[in-house]
Amino acid sequence: MPALLLDSVTKDFGEKRAVDDLSFAVRDGEVFGFLGGNGAGKTTSLRMVLDIIRPTSGRIEILGRTPGRENSADLGFLPEERGLYRTMTALDTITYFGRLKGMTRNDARREGRALLDRFGLGGSANTKIDKLSKGMAQKVQLATAIVNAPRLLILDEPFSGLDPVNQGLLEDEIKRLSRQGATIVFSTHVMQHAERLCDRLLLLAQGRKAFEGTQDAARATLPARLTILSRTTPAGLPGVVAVTEHGGQDGWTEWGVSLAPGADPGDLLQVCTERGFALRRFEQSRPSLHDVFLHIVGGEEGRA
Amino acid sequence: MTNPILLVAAREFRQIAATRSFWITLLILPLALAIGPIASHFMEKDHTETVMLIDPSGQAAPAIAERLALDEQRRVLTSLSRYSESHDLDRADPAAPWAQHDRYYSDTEVQTFARAGGADHAAAVMKRVAAADTPPFDKPDPDYRIVPTPPAIAASNPAALANMLPGLINPPKKEGEPLDYAVYVPGNFGSGRSPVQIWSDGAPPGTLMIALQDTLTRAMRLRFLEGQGVSPDMADAAGRIAPMIAINRPSPGKGQEQMVIRSILPLLVSYLLLMSLMLSGSWMLQGTIEERSNKLIETVLACVSPNQLMYGKLFGTVAVGLTMVAIWAGCAIGVAFATQGMIADFLRPALAPLEQPSVALAMIYYFLAGYLMISMIFLTIGAMSDSFRDAQSYLSPVMLLIAMPFAIIAQAVLRDPSSVGVRIMSWIPIYAPFTMLARLGAGVPLWEVIGCGVTLAAFIAIEFVMLGRVFRASLLSAGSKPNLARLGRLMRGRDVE
Repeated sequence: MPALLLDSVTKDFGEKRAVDDLSFAVRDGEVFGFLGGNGAGKTTSLRMVLDIIRPTSGRIEILGRTPGRENSADLGFLPEERGLYRTMTALDTITYFGRLKGMTRNDARREGRALLDRFGLGGSANTKIDKLSKGMAQKVQLATAIVNAPRLLILDEPFSGLDPVNQGLLEDEIKRLSRQGATIVFSTHVMQHAERLCDRLLLLAQGRKAFEGTQDAARATLPARLTILSRTTPAGLPGVVAVTEHGGQDGWTEWGVSLAPGADPGDLLQVCTERGFALRRFEQSRPSLHDVFLHIVGGEEGRA
Repeated sequence: MTNPILLVAAREFRQIAATRSFWITLLILPLALAIGPIASHFMEKDHTETVMLIDPSGQAAPAIAERLALDEQRRVLTSLSRYSESHDLDRADPAAPWAQHDRYYSDTEVQTFARAGGADHAAAVMKRVAAADTPPFDKPDPDYRIVPTPPAIAASNPAALANMLPGLINPPKKEGEPLDYAVYVPGNFGSGRSPVQIWSDGAPPGTLMIALQDTLTRAMRLRFLEGQGVSPDMADAAGRIAPMIAINRPSPGKGQEQMVIRSILPLLVSYLLLMSLMLSGSWMLQGTIEERSNKLIETVLACVSPNQLMYGKLFGTVAVGLTMVAIWAGCAIGVAFATQGMIADFLRPALAPLEQPSVALAMIYYFLAGYLMISMIFLTIGAMSDSFRDAQSYLSPVMLLIAMPFAIIAQAVLRDPSSVGVRIMSWIPIYAPFTMLARLGAGVPLWEVIGCGVTLAAFIAIEFVMLGRVFRASLLSAGSKPNLARLGRLMRGRDVE
């Protein structure tokens, strides 16, 4: 049973279609990246998952159930736009949200204290939110999302607005919760975080799914790029679609080589060996998610 | 698991109760009620006004003074009579004038009463049969007191008096004895050449004018009759002829007086409803605006549904309002118990409407219904506003619409609780709680209580459906202020995302 399932989900706001026939599944226990540019439909999709808004059509399953507040005991949510009750203390805030998710008062307070201690805010438990620094308040906000040790944690642009220290803290928490078996879905448009954390990812463009799969599969959508040092041009070798000469020395020349999409650099190396094609260097440069994002989403948005 | 509605309500309550303004407001009303009477006691002008009689002939002044004293004794006697009737003390001396409640006391009766020892003697007689908790008789202050006429004034002619007296009547700097009225009676008054003159700072009171006119007219008639050859005794007897006038009115605490007293508690409840609504509503408004402007709403909505949030906020606000009312009522009851006597005497008839369970139930119903109805409006305004300034543009017309007619309703109810205007207001849902609360003390037909109640309930149900749609639609649409057309569409269930 997937932790989260969206089946042909569409959401219209008046004339505007925000999410268009979106289908994907998040497996239990995986860290799933929900990537897309601004206005791609990420937040709308997550709000539908949380039953804050309802889809125009399609089906959503969350931990095997339909969306609704009865799931809140198993859910954690950190919205993109964050805020807290200014006049409540840090501990009361965490306790309040813990209780809204079905925890007893004692459990919520105990867990709240433990989280504040872990985040280095043990001494500020009884300080009002408006007396905390922005960074401290962000930690409290994170604590409200995970106080109930959620089975499914949904993070909407969790790294936006965080300083590098808090970004590190959040990454650690995501890894910790993942190790404990939680399923984590987070949206972002900062690819470095996705690269470090995601088992699988989904790329959203104009409300439609542009890609779903592992990072390797995502990278495979880009033509492989190689740098080789050889005596003769690699143009004409199987799979090579473009060659650029970068200069040479002592009879050896450096070439930038682009392979056809889906072509395996290993196959090219094997052909070179079999044909006695002299090589002094064979270097594969791995495309980043950023490149993949620009390749897939940039193209979609460019076409829109 | 605690119901999320209760959790939201409890948080709302705690947030409001933690504010300084809540506690200040809570204390202001009892303080104002306590300080008001004390302040007015100190600021109040002495009831007894002073009169200076300037009478060169020395004949009119004693008669005027005697007449004023007689009128004063009549007031005391009338007051004693009401006291005796209120506390069932007539049996102490059934033949005494104060035990006769149905007539205007003649001069002879008043003189007999005064000669027998006046109020002090009567009070002593009554005390023999009075219950232990009967408050003592509080003798009214006299209306007028005659002050001595300084020799310099007594010897002055009218032209000199016209220069001297205006400076002595309520002078800016009080020097010596204050003087309210000066009356000059020339020796040949009534001859047409020398008028009786009065100096006053304003229009002289009717009672003083009647006393002067009666006394001087009688003296002129005596002179006239004696001039016509009538013997002085006969002329005097003719001057004293007066009809016996019977007065039929309800006993104390009945009739119009009863209606006013019985309407006081309902009117007060109606006023408290208005006060606490305005205050707790504005606090709830601030809370909702904070949730929107602090971008809290999405976090909250991930845990509770918009309806749970809406009902939680409403219940929290109602709890705040009821707490305020309960504390104010507790203070009032505490004061009543502490002071006993007059306040308890007043409270007993004022609380009489509550002796009927149906009236008490109706009051609770209309109070709660009014609270829910108006709070829902405040809540929706809060959900549509990103700042308090935003909210003001919706709030001002709503406040005017709700609060302005209150004063008119209160006055109209005291004048005639079953007038057409008041009855029409009872059927208009937004005014029904205030109007019905104010009317209940004076008695409202059962069909009207139920009819207005059902209409109000139906209106609240429709209001909750329509404003609930606006509330839910507005929660997540920060930065966009709906215009009237969009509000209408949202209420009809269109444009809902």
